[in-house]
Amino acid sequence: MASTVISAGITIEGEVTSDEDVVVQGTLRGKLIAKDAVTVEHGGTVEADITSGPVAIAGVVTGNINSSDRVDLQNGAKVVGNVKATRITIADGAQFKGNVDMDV
Amino acid sequence: MANSSTQTTLIGSGTFVRGRVTGTGDLEIAGRIEGEVTCTGDVTVESSGLVGAPIAAHRIVVRGAVKGDLTAEEAIVLEAGARVVGDLRAPRIAIAPGGLVRGHVQTGGAGAARPRSAAATATVNRSSSSSAAKPAAKAVLPPLPPPLPPPARVEREVKTAPVVVANGRPAPRAAARVGPPPPVVPALKKGTKAIAHHKKR
Repeated sequence: MASTVISAGITIEGEVTSDEDVVVQGTLRGKLIAKDAVTVEHGGTVEADITSGPVAIAGVVTGNINSSDRVDLQNGAKVVGNVKATRITIADGAQFKGNVDMDV
Repeated sequence: MANSSTQTTLIGSGTFVRGRVTGTGDLEIAGRIEGEVTCTGDVTVESSGLVGAPIAAHRIVVRGAVKGDLTAEEAIVLEAGARVVGDLRAPRIAIAPGGLVRGHVQTGGAGAARPRSAAATATVNRSSSSSAAKPAAKAVLPPLPPPLPPPARVEREVKTAPVVVANGRPAPRAAARVGPPPPVVPALKKGTKAIAHHKKR
C-alpha cells in the first residue's frame, strides 16, 4: 500500500522526496524523487521531473521521467517529456511526446 | 479519517516535502513538510510528523511537531505528544496533557460563546481521558529545543543581592546561587569619600 498519497484537490508546489511509494491523484509541481514506485492516477497532474523506481502513469505528466525500473504509460495517460527507463510500455490510448532512452 | 480514501492526502513517514501544500480535502502528515500548508479540510500531524511552516486549515489536530503558526477555522487540538512552537489561533483550542506549546494562544470566539465553550470542554475532557498514555508518550519525545534564557528576573535578583551584602550582613542565599554575585562598588559622588572621612574623625 502506498504510503504517500497526494489526493485530488491538493496541490503541492515544491520538491517531494520519499523513501516510499508515491501516488498522485492531485497536482504536483516541482520535483519528485522517490526510492520506490510512483503512480500518477487518472486525474492526477505532475508538472515535474520524476526520478524513481517503477512508474505507472494514467494521468498527465509534463517533465522528464528517470526510472531505475519500468515505466508504464496506461490508457488515458498524457506524457510530455523524455523517458529514461530499463523497460517501457505504452498502452493503447496513451498520449506520449518525447524521447525514450532504454540503455540498449 | 482512514487513509486510502480518495479525499485524504497522506504524507508518509518516509516522505519529505519542500514547498507549498494547498488545496481541498483532508491532509494527514506522518512525514516532513517544510513549506506552507493551506487546506480547507482537516490537517492531522501524526506523532512522526514534522512541519516546519505555518498551517492553515479548517481543523488541525497535532500529535507531532510543528514549528509555525497554526490557524484553524474551527478548532485546534493538541494531543499528547504534540510539540508546537508558534502561535495558535482558532475559535476552539484544546491542549491535552502532554501537549507542549510555546507561543501565543488565542481563541477567537466572537459571539455564541456558550455552545462553543461547551464543545471545547468536551474536547478537553475526551483528550484528557487518554492521559494514562501520557508518560509513555512523553518518554518517546525527542529533545525539545533548549528553553529560552530566563529573562530579566534573574538579573533583578542579582541586583538586589548586593544590597544585602552592603548592609554588612552576609547573604547565604545569594552565595548558594550559581555564580558569585557581582562586587558591590557603591558609586560615590566626587568628594563624598572625603566627607565620610571627616565625619569619622
